Amino acid sequence: MSNVEKYQQAFTETFGLGEDQLADLKYQDVPEWDSVGHMNLMGALEDVFDIEMDIDDITDFSSFEHGKTILKKYNVNV
Amino acid sequence: MSESGDKLFFDTIGILESQRNRYPLLFVDQITEAVPGKSAVGIKNFTYNEWFFPAHYDDEPNVPGFVLIECLVQTFIMTFLSIEEYRGNKTNFLGIDNVKFRRKIVPGETMKISANLKSFKRGIAIGTAEGEVDGEFACCADFTVSLPVVFDKFVPPKSK
Repeated sequence: MSNVEKYQQAFTETFGLGEDQLADLKYQDVPEWDSVGHMNLMGALEDVFDIEMDIDDITDFSSFEHGKTILKKYNVNV
Repeated sequence: MSESGDKLFFDTIGILESQRNRYPLLFVDQITEAVPGKSAVGIKNFTYNEWFFPAHYDDEPNVPGFVLIECLVQTFIMTFLSIEEYRGNKTNFLGIDNVKFRRKIVPGETMKISANLKSFKRGIAIGTAEGEVDGEFACCADFTVSLPVVFDKFVPPKSK
């Protein structure tokens, strides 16, 4: 599975969304991406990419698109 | 609170110093054994003087299910509120799963609660607790509980 697929899957499985709903998705756009859902998403991403994100990156992770930029800091290219 | 090896003991005052539940909603009397960050064993004694017995029920007093859940979770939160830096903080329920009630508990009985912390990350505690009376299984539940003093630090600013 490619990094793109892993990244998308973290979102679709955590929030129960389809891939077609991800491109413009932002924090709190859907009820599932609330504060608790956010922690679940961070945990899913850390597990799948075997990384541990800093607190500043977790609070800055505000959208599907911006998350890709954050993951580059951890040498994960999506 | 007292210490024996890596295990801690909390009397009622020690519990009050560690968590924020108060009468009439404090439902654990002692933590007989806590391994901070791992597990806790609690004791809850029930007498007819409990405020809920006359109402549940007048002809057949027994402990209501929501009280049993509180007994379980109040022991469970001591698995992480026994960690020195988190003592005295408030907690919030995020989820309860796999709840089972299998034994009626009546005045004069004591429930022993065993709780285990499976995960504690970014202020979210996930684990389980089980209650027994005289060695007989009474109830259990899986819990997800937040510790807002930690959890809130990881929450992104509101986007709307």
